[in-house]
Amino acid sequence: MKPHQHLIAAATLGLLPLAAQAAVSPDALVGPIAEYKLYVLDNLEQFVDHTEKFTAAVEAGDLHNAQALYAPTRVYYERIEPIAELFADLDASIDAREDDYEQGVKDPDFTGFHRIEYGLFHEHSTEDLNAYAERLMSDVNELDHRVQDLTFPPETVVGGAAALMEEVAATKVSGEEDRYSRTDLWDFQANIDGAREIFTLFKPLAAQEDADFVKRVDDNFDDVETTLATYRVDADDPDAGFESYDEVNKNDRRALAGPVTVLAEDLSTLRGLLGLN
Amino acid sequence: MDRRHFLRHAGLSGLGLGLAGLCPGQVHAQLQTRTQAPTHRGQEVTSAPLTQDAQLAYPFHGRHQQGIVTPRQATGMVVAFDVLARDRDDLEKLLKILTARITFLTRGGEYPQRDPRYPPPDSGILGPSVPPDGLTVTLALGDSLFDERYGLADARPRHLQRMTGFPNDALDAARCHGDLALQFCANTADTHYHALRDIIKHTPGLLMVRWKQEGTVPLLPPAPGDVEGSARNFLGFRDGSANPSIEDEALMDALVWIGEAHDEPAWARGGSYMAVRIIRNFVERWDRTPLHEQESIFGRRKMSGAPLSGSREQDIPDYASDPEGRITPLDAHIRLANPRTPETENNRILRRPFNYSNGVERNGQLDMGLLFICFQADLDAGFISVQKRLNGEPLEEYIKPVGGGYFFVLPGAIDDRDFLGRRLLEATA
Ligand code: HEM
Repeated sequence: MKPHQHLIAAATLGLLPLAAQAAVSPDALVGPIAEYKLYVLDNLEQFVDHTEKFTAAVEAGDLHNAQALYAPTRVYYERIEPIAELFADLDASIDAREDDYEQGVKDPDFTGFHRIEYGLFHEHSTEDLNAYAERLMSDVNELDHRVQDLTFPPETVVGGAAALMEEVAATKVSGEEDRYSRTDLWDFQANIDGAREIFTLFKPLAAQEDADFVKRVDDNFDDVETTLATYRVDADDPDAGFESYDEVNKNDRRALAGPVTVLAEDLSTLRGLLGLN
Repeated sequence: MDRRHFLRHAGLSGLGLGLAGLCPGQVHAQLQTRTQAPTHRGQEVTSAPLTQDAQLAYPFHGRHQQGIVTPRQATGMVVAFDVLARDRDDLEKLLKILTARITFLTRGGEYPQRDPRYPPPDSGILGPSVPPDGLTVTLALGDSLFDERYGLADARPRHLQRMTGFPNDALDAARCHGDLALQFCANTADTHYHALRDIIKHTPGLLMVRWKQEGTVPLLPPAPGDVEGSARNFLGFRDGSANPSIEDEALMDALVWIGEAHDEPAWARGGSYMAVRIIRNFVERWDRTPLHEQESIFGRRKMSGAPLSGSREQDIPDYASDPEGRITPLDAHIRLANPRTPETENNRILRRPFNYSNGVERNGQLDMGLLFICFQADLDAGFISVQKRLNGEPLEEYIKPVGGGYFFVLPGAIDDRDFLGRRLLEATA
């Protein structure tokens, strides 16, 4: 490679050969990780709470209310996915999509939010959903129980920011997540919230290593959030949520895909930057 | 550098360019491979590929880009992208990154080492030292890039347009058009997957893949005593027999490359139009069609590739003494495509297609076909006129165009200081 090519590559990717990092001391990670655990526990508490109301509405046959509670409930799960996904069995029964099963919607193993979503938004009915609602509630309680005792591994927490961006790049930009309710933007924002929370907690440490990197990541988060904000139902009320994914025009899909891939690339280096394996 | 010049000096120039990024031991190994590489004997662009030489390196710099009059490699792939660049500065950055990546990938070499706590710098699928493997990457722009986003509208090549459907088409929107297209060609498919993944990794936020289609051509050295011929397509016919000769530089300047005579913006000189069509072949049905009918449909013999009016592949079809189509039917593919009249001389195109095989359709039939790619200095006189003459041809019963697009191949980058698209940006500054 000619030297000027290095520069171009380096500017986009940080591909310059790197000697061993000045390495952030492991002690410095303790504080942010403890704070992150509080964030997760706080979201879990809300998640349990909202799931209770959501499943109660399903079981009461209150279609309208159940539909309204679907997206706001999922938000808490989508924010803490890096931790929730550590329990693969629960993740499958809570959040799998019909594509994950050979027989699709008809598959007897297909349960959780997206199975209920199919009933509420595709069949427009709460009929035959009771068993799914019960199962969801018990799975969510079980998740809550398991996370309480969990020690948070630093690699998982720091790597979680990148993992969330991979989620966004793989299923949110294309609008594949909530195909019946079209509430993808709620999940999109929640994944971004979760990733940004992690990034913000470790930002002071990352800034010591590479201030340009920190600025670029912040700028790209801002870009994504600005575009998402134009689809909020009520600019002054975050709880009012988002318009249907079908409303997102082609230019905005591009405007979202750009910074999302840059964030995925950049955040994939956060572990390395903080000297974690 | 033109191809003939390149081939004549292949031993020298290929070596000189291959040196970059290799340590001395590897240079030695490369030298040995290079001198043992088979020589090309007057190969045409669609002759059956003869070499799998991993150290073969086509020079990237020149008046024209590679991958057009370059003898067709055994594998090819077209990838169309949406450009996400936010403004002209971003677009310039993208064009510079692409130029740098293509320069590196087509020369081959090694990536810088990286701390293992980071993701590695490349996919690693070609191992620690990336061979050039005959790779060419050809950069072309779609009509949509000349919309309001980057202020390029005034410099739009005159014939660049959005592909519209022809009567036999069943276009799938997910496999059509694009702001930018890259044509990858190499000896082996892994080399272009590696190159594509490298480019994706270096262009986050700038490019998004829209569709891709890969294909191959059979690498069959001629049997002893056999004549060299064009490679076959998936209908079993030799494809490319009547291509204009790449040895004839004046002809290439007239038919393929934009020059002063072509009434195009000055920045576009040295460029060309690329028409890409993904054309499904109904192979089961074809295989149930009598040989005689197959040959009438094309106007050529299946095994030899000879025109029905001749006996060898390279014989010139004779339509003048066959005005009623008793020997070569009037609606035979080659007769419609090129009636060989003075008025249709300027409709000639340089075809450089690949065969594709994608999987199985819901009806259990094979999804196979032709990744049709052709180059011309005038898209309307070239592909569009030829396709219009072909509309309604008997071959249509066996084929279905499902995707593709029209693109403008940028003029080449002259040297290390130049980048692909520089003249376009300067012309619109
Ligand atoms: C699946 C679709 C197609 C198949 C299987 C096919 C196959 C062939 C074959 C076997 C030949 C004879 C050998 C040769 O000269 O190359 C030929 C010639 C030719 N084809 Fe096609 N072709 C296809 C589509 C097209 C399209 C879309 C065009 C352009 C619009 C085209 C333009 C030509 C031309 C210009 C010739 C040369 C005629 C001559 O100069 O004598 N073909 N094609």
